[in-house]
Amino acid sequence: MFRGAVWLLAGRGSLGRGLSTRSGGWTPDWTEKVSEIKKKIQSALPGGAWHPLYDTSHLPPEHSDVVIVGGGVLGLSVAYWLKRLERPQGAIKVLVVDRDHTYSQASTGLSVGGIRQQFSLPENIQLSLFSVDFLRNINEYLAVVNDPPLDVQFNPSGYLFLASEKGAAIMENNVKVQRQEGAKVCLMTPEQLRNKFPWINTDGVALASYGLEGEGWFDPWCLLQGLRRKVQSFGVHFSQGEVTRFITSSSDMQTTSGKGVTMKRIHEVHVKMDHSLEYQPVECALVINAAGAWSGQVAELAGIGKGPPGTLEGTKLPVEPRKRYVYLWHCPEGPGLETPFVADTSGAYFRREGLGHNYLGGCSPTEEEEPDPGNLEVDHDFFQNKVWPPLAHRVPAFQCLKVRSAWAGYYDYNTFDQNGVVGPHPLVSNMYFATGFSGHGLQQAPAVGRAVAEMVLEGQFRTIDLSSFLFSRFYLGEKVEERNII
Amino acid sequence: MLKTILPTIMLIPLAWLSKNNMLWINSTMYSLAISITCLPLMNLSCDNSLNMSLLFFSDSLSTPLLLLTVWLLPLMIMASQHHLSKEPDSQKKLYITMMVLLQTFLIMTFSATELIMFYILFEATLVPTLIMITRWGGQTERLNAGIYFLFYTLAGSLPLLVALVYTQASVGSLNLLLIQYWNHPSIQVWGSSALWLAYMMAFMVKMPLYGLHLWLPKAHVEAPIAGSMVLAAILLKLGGYGMLRITVMLNPITNFMTYPFLMLSLWGMIMTSSICLRQTDLKSLIAYSSVSHMALVIMAIMIQSPWSFMGATALMIAHGLTSSMLFCLANSNYERTHSRTMILARGLQMILPLMAAWWLLASLMNLALPPSINLIGELFVTTAMFSWSNLSIILLGINIIITALYSLYMLITTQRGKYTYHIHNIKPSFTRENTLMMLHLTPLLLLMVKPQIILGTLY
Repeated sequence: MFRGAVWLLAGRGSLGRGLSTRSGGWTPDWTEKVSEIKKKIQSALPGGAWHPLYDTSHLPPEHSDVVIVGGGVLGLSVAYWLKRLERPQGAIKVLVVDRDHTYSQASTGLSVGGIRQQFSLPENIQLSLFSVDFLRNINEYLAVVNDPPLDVQFNPSGYLFLASEKGAAIMENNVKVQRQEGAKVCLMTPEQLRNKFPWINTDGVALASYGLEGEGWFDPWCLLQGLRRKVQSFGVHFSQGEVTRFITSSSDMQTTSGKGVTMKRIHEVHVKMDHSLEYQPVECALVINAAGAWSGQVAELAGIGKGPPGTLEGTKLPVEPRKRYVYLWHCPEGPGLETPFVADTSGAYFRREGLGHNYLGGCSPTEEEEPDPGNLEVDHDFFQNKVWPPLAHRVPAFQCLKVRSAWAGYYDYNTFDQNGVVGPHPLVSNMYFATGFSGHGLQQAPAVGRAVAEMVLEGQFRTIDLSSFLFSRFYLGEKVEERNII
Repeated sequence: MLKTILPTIMLIPLAWLSKNNMLWINSTMYSLAISITCLPLMNLSCDNSLNMSLLFFSDSLSTPLLLLTVWLLPLMIMASQHHLSKEPDSQKKLYITMMVLLQTFLIMTFSATELIMFYILFEATLVPTLIMITRWGGQTERLNAGIYFLFYTLAGSLPLLVALVYTQASVGSLNLLLIQYWNHPSIQVWGSSALWLAYMMAFMVKMPLYGLHLWLPKAHVEAPIAGSMVLAAILLKLGGYGMLRITVMLNPITNFMTYPFLMLSLWGMIMTSSICLRQTDLKSLIAYSSVSHMALVIMAIMIQSPWSFMGATALMIAHGLTSSMLFCLANSNYERTHSRTMILARGLQMILPLMAAWWLLASLMNLALPPSINLIGELFVTTAMFSWSNLSIILLGINIIITALYSLYMLITTQRGKYTYHIHNIKPSFTRENTLMMLHLTPLLLLMVKPQIILGTLY
């Protein structure tokens, strides 16, 4: 019907042209024109969003109560818990904005996917404990009507940390704290190690801690997609775009000691579309910074860190991207199915991947050899020089292996104390952080999401107290450091 | 009446020719002066009318509504100052022009003698309101809201035009003072029922009646603050005023034609009150509470007893002021947090205590706390409805309870409890906002002392 109408409208022109001359070659693309007109008419009919001038369906909505910057596992976890914990249901409009909808550089998809409770801080242990419970019952948390259940492929093989003479005392302390929090960890002597894992060379190992329950690895992409699906069923809007600007208003206030402080509120977020100058100002009440490795840049847009150094205004968010390599190799004589996620005394680590004698591993470089985080190119010499030798020493079977592939991913590295930043900023009161977890963000994401949602909805942490992870520790200089990170 | 209309029209050149820094001050002060000059209209006896010319008159039904209209213009201008502050000056002046134009039409509507003139101005009020909603509203949905608002009202009022022209042809005059002496039509004819419907549907849509109320939550929520204020306070009352005037000549068809609307209103009043209990959006809650209160007014007008008419007029004035005040309070919240969701801005009593006092008074008025005029209206209506049918007391009682529930729910969610962290650095209340609330509250409190002025023609 539309095709006929269009033909009639333009008919005389083409007929006339056809009769008089065949040169010039003006062939109108009818299908494209018809679909364009159809789209215009459909957008004008009631029920659809009425944009008579142009199609704006790719833009985010003009107003959203909460804008979550960053659509990775942390951002989606915050969105999920916000929608789950809000009373009454359906009250809050949430928008998740991500720069890259393919997640090509996001830390979530490129992660090795390990989860452990073997931390030294009680908060970290509690976060991982809840996350394991979440993963075990993922189909109760993230079930969507008429959609297939999720298989997050949780391999509960445990983590094995190896400590030399120097680190043995610290490891014993850590295990005591972990057991107090409820993690099931056991300490092993070198003989017990050799008995349990015959492929291991216990040279230089004084003590090992092995996680018996709730540790292992899983498929991070499946968790991400599961969260995304569930969150969409809750009615959260997704938008692809880059946050380029925050419109803030400031007010000068005085502390009790008479010092002047400038407090800010974010009123609008400008979301810029890909490959274009078009942006949409989104009016919002709250912004949640879950931008991962780029959280520092997002924080700077809000004016965090712009001020004389040493003051609260001048304290930046110390999160920056750090590149880490992951290598996948094949070793036919390698350790079998019971292989845990082994973290060597030297800092190198590996885990089994799949059932075909493939292994994933890598190593954290020292401060001096930090690779340039400008791109995600892999340095294969790093494997040859820094990863293979300690692993081959620890597992003699790895002396002959073949590297299948390798990739690099970013840590949202907290240069202050390598632990997460959670909660509101003291001056920009409506920006909340959920970032900076420096490599263990994925495994703590469900619990951190819940903590941030509790902070937003109720003003305090209810289930896990993360007050030591607040932003103010950067200004006060109180480091909460872990011992032995991967 | 010209002494009110001409100064109101002259507010337009005042807005356009003022210096930019005097714009708000000039328009507010002069509109306030106009409202004060209208006060002497109250000086009339209850069953007489002041006939100023062939075109304009005012009696004790239209005078309170007229005063509410002129009182509201300075309040609307004061409330719009903040959200227009970022706009260029010509836009600000255009906005004030829209408000003044709306004001002029409303003044003329309420004082019209001739029903055709009433109708023309009734329709004319749609245009500035539509412009205000669609041009200066908040979100994308405002386009949809404007369309719903416009077409619901137009569709309802087209039959009214036909009915008015027919009556003019058959009776000879549509002068309100004369048609009370019109010979009543026979009740056996389908045509007279159709005539009744034609007269009433426009006002039913405007009130709004429960089944035809879909435009109201959209329009109220998406409109800018001045739009919400004028919609809630006055435009809804146009429907009530029209019905009160027209029912004079529609007896005895009214005896049986009103039953469906009475049932719809009784049911709708409870439905919309219950919806309020589940609302998460503050403005939406106040919009639905408007529907609920206006359902009471519709019922009162339908049963046509002296007490109910008095209750209807009192309720119209009381609801106008209370609803407008609640919208101003919600807007003061919205300007600070940029969100209308109630749970995101809680515990405001700790942070803005004076505003909490206004919230408390407005909520108490909304739930018809004695001795406020809201209570007088509701009580008169309830009593008249009880005498019309004993069973209706059950529904009316349930409605009164639910009204109290949602008003207190709104108050407790926004004001009490632990405040959310992210609102601790909102700007404190401006004097302008406090003045606004006080100016809303003063008539409400003063009328408590002498409610006779708002009880309409049958007191």
